[in-house]
Amino acid sequence: MASIVSVNSLSVAYRSGGQDVSVVHEVSLEVAKGRTLALVGESGSGKSTIAATLLGHLRHGSRITGGSVQVAGSDVFALPARELRRLRGNTVAMVGQNAGHALTPSMRIGRQIAEAGGTVPVVELLEQVRLPRPAELARRYPHELSGGQQQRVAIAMAIAARPDVLVLDEPTTGLDVVTQRSVLDLIAALRDELGLAAVLVSHDLGVVAHMADEVTVLRSGRVVEAAPTRQLFARPQDPYTRRLLASVPRLDDTGLALVGETGEREVRPRADVPDDAPVAVRAQDVTIDYGKSRTVHGVSFDVRRGEVLALVGESGSGKSTLAWTLAGLRPPSGGTLTHEAGDLAGPAHRRPLSLRRRVQPVFQNADTSLNPRRSVGDAVRRPLRFFGTAADRTEAAERARRLIADVRLDPALADRLPAQLSGGQRQRIGIARALAGEPDVLIADEITTALDVSVQADVLRLLDDLRRERDLACLFISHDLAVVRGIADRVVVLRHGVVVEEGPTEAVFAAPGHPYTRQLMAAALEPDPDAQPYVDDTLDWVDAADEDDLWTDQGDSHRVRRWRPLNAPVAEGVS
Amino acid sequence: MFSFIARRTAAGLGTLLLSSVLVFLAVQALPGDVATQVLGKDATPDAVSALRGQLGLDQPAWERYVDWIRGALHGDFGTSLVSAKPVGGEVAMYLGNSALIALITVLFAVTGSIVLGVIAGLYRDRWPDHVISTAGLVGMSIPEFVVATVLVLCFSVALPWFPAVVLYGPEASVGQLLPAVWLPALALAIVMAAYIVRMARTSVIDVMASEYVTTARLKGLSTWRVVTRHALPSALLPTLHVIALNVAWLAGGVAVVENVFNYPGIGKLMLSSVQNRDLPVIQAIALISAVVYVACNLAADLGAMALNPRLRTRGRTR
Repeated sequence: MASIVSVNSLSVAYRSGGQDVSVVHEVSLEVAKGRTLALVGESGSGKSTIAATLLGHLRHGSRITGGSVQVAGSDVFALPARELRRLRGNTVAMVGQNAGHALTPSMRIGRQIAEAGGTVPVVELLEQVRLPRPAELARRYPHELSGGQQQRVAIAMAIAARPDVLVLDEPTTGLDVVTQRSVLDLIAALRDELGLAAVLVSHDLGVVAHMADEVTVLRSGRVVEAAPTRQLFARPQDPYTRRLLASVPRLDDTGLALVGETGEREVRPRADVPDDAPVAVRAQDVTIDYGKSRTVHGVSFDVRRGEVLALVGESGSGKSTLAWTLAGLRPPSGGTLTHEAGDLAGPAHRRPLSLRRRVQPVFQNADTSLNPRRSVGDAVRRPLRFFGTAADRTEAAERARRLIADVRLDPALADRLPAQLSGGQRQRIGIARALAGEPDVLIADEITTALDVSVQADVLRLLDDLRRERDLACLFISHDLAVVRGIADRVVVLRHGVVVEEGPTEAVFAAPGHPYTRQLMAAALEPDPDAQPYVDDTLDWVDAADEDDLWTDQGDSHRVRRWRPLNAPVAEGVS
Repeated sequence: MFSFIARRTAAGLGTLLLSSVLVFLAVQALPGDVATQVLGKDATPDAVSALRGQLGLDQPAWERYVDWIRGALHGDFGTSLVSAKPVGGEVAMYLGNSALIALITVLFAVTGSIVLGVIAGLYRDRWPDHVISTAGLVGMSIPEFVVATVLVLCFSVALPWFPAVVLYGPEASVGQLLPAVWLPALALAIVMAAYIVRMARTSVIDVMASEYVTTARLKGLSTWRVVTRHALPSALLPTLHVIALNVAWLAGGVAVVENVFNYPGIGKLMLSSVQNRDLPVIQAIALISAVVYVACNLAADLGAMALNPRLRTRGRTR
């Protein structure tokens, strides 16, 4: 079949300091009608740049240095402005990464969709992307919609003029697993229904395995490997592809996967946490309020020394709120939160110094949580002096270098500014800074979410090493079940601020008892096109917990909040 | 939305009340006794105390404040110590003349500078941007009285198009003043525009680099539509408050420029009343400046609401 998209040895460069810096180097690819091609790679691989060239778009300062892009028979970069405008929207349309930023805040969504052209009525388009009450929704502004709804609106906008090619640039990256799954299903259905060719840009190999017919792997602007999806995932040829694939955590890993240089994978058994390990932090019936609304309803858990406890849930489940409270950034409105060395209910600035240094947070965005004007060595040195763990200046400098080495970085990096480090290196500095107070409790809030898979694997490994070496209690917060499976010893599943299931990782993953846990597992995507997805056969359900009978005990401290299928008699109820 | 407007209006009124107290206290704190000042150093103590009684200066301060405010609410600001005419009418006459300049200035400065700012932003780092930005910087760094003097040199001395000074008194009609208005208005507009142009340019550049503008372009929309529908509403938001501050600044900027042109406006009245210690007039002018500031900021808040649906739809549920 003839290709509708064909990119021929395309090179793109931007000018920086009077020199051309190449971002895409002689890349060629073809997409046939009705097929989906995935562009895979880590940050800086040039995948988004290539995708945007299909619409004749280049970032400010970039230019084509060679090759051509042909879409539906016309050379995109040779088209006059008017023709190019007609191509955009009518022939090729794009769905961007973050619909929250891609929709104009001052315009009603109905008008934004209508503007995209085409003859299909707006209401019909909104119905097509499965949005409820489309007529009313069309009159809303973008900020009045949830993230998932915004992404659906962006899709509606893209298919409005019935294009032939859909360019999807990380279409689900900002969404949580359950929403991601439903948006991907929608895209697949529309693609098949409208016979679209699609170019999917993603760093998530699970998404790619689920959606694509062919895959092109990119690294630093060059094609590393291109193959049909099934072949690529089964027999990756290039060592880089192999390493990339091996770095993706799997739902059936029984421990942390360690990845070698050429992509061999070895699963390290979990660390043994002795039964009598002392409890480092105990939360009991903790409630947290934002103004009048309660986001965390009576949550209890223990974290023991040397143990990683994962808090899992969608956005809005209250998991990050709990982390903030534990770090002393938001006082709880009820319940008790205690450390072996004192009470953690107060805000951080009221905690005695000796207690404060023992509970330390690491944040999701290392780039925004480090002061951009201070060297990273300084960032690590300051808490050393502040907590009095280093006696004087020279000792602090020496200890900071050692801590930086402890997080497997070259101590020579100490003089750099955060902007001069990569994302993974910055996150390591974030960890080193937290370790400076010699804590026994580490709060890791989505610390790998913003990182590339191979970097994520390294950071997870570092965290696992550290808790073994330093006997750290770690509260690990994540929405990614596969990551949790590898690193955590125990799991607490949160939904709307309520614990619905908790237990040892193995037990919870082997036999998830609560329908919400099953829903999360079913939504997780494995990097394997033939993966048998976890089937969620639970129908609608309701919470059936009452005051004195909250839990169904499944043994080995694995317990599930009581629930019952909807429309079923109460007596039959409990799963 | 209504609670937003109500809150802003209430805050504005509160600010006004507070500034009226400050104005009153500041005038009280001026050194020297008013009666002595008016009558001169050689006045007999009897005459001084008689005038004090006449002016009400023997009553406690808070009573005088209440009287003053009550009068001000009805448009009665007392009697001028110099001309012995009601302050309200006198101030209104000068204010009207100044309003003529202010109106023309605002009209030209705001529309002109937004257009220039947007052009500079759209042609970022190309020649139109360089020309506009450099001109703006020059306008910003030269004080308004220098700009005014240069304008006089160019357009009334070298090219005798406009009168250099106004020869009419405050009672002049609009028709008489109109030819004299353009140079002062231009001088003020140049200084004022510089700030607005810079702000508009920066926010247009920010917004044009945003993802939603890129999305709008990739939908195949024309540049005109992308700019007017998608970029401008958001780009004008931060500019709005800069405009409000500048319009409020006019109240002060006008004083200097009016003196250069001998224009019978509020600035001239203010200067002469300060020289003559005409306290009721000074109080009235200070209060009116406060009203202008509050009104400008309230207008900016309401404008922001019109441009930003987040403010309008607050409280509505998802």
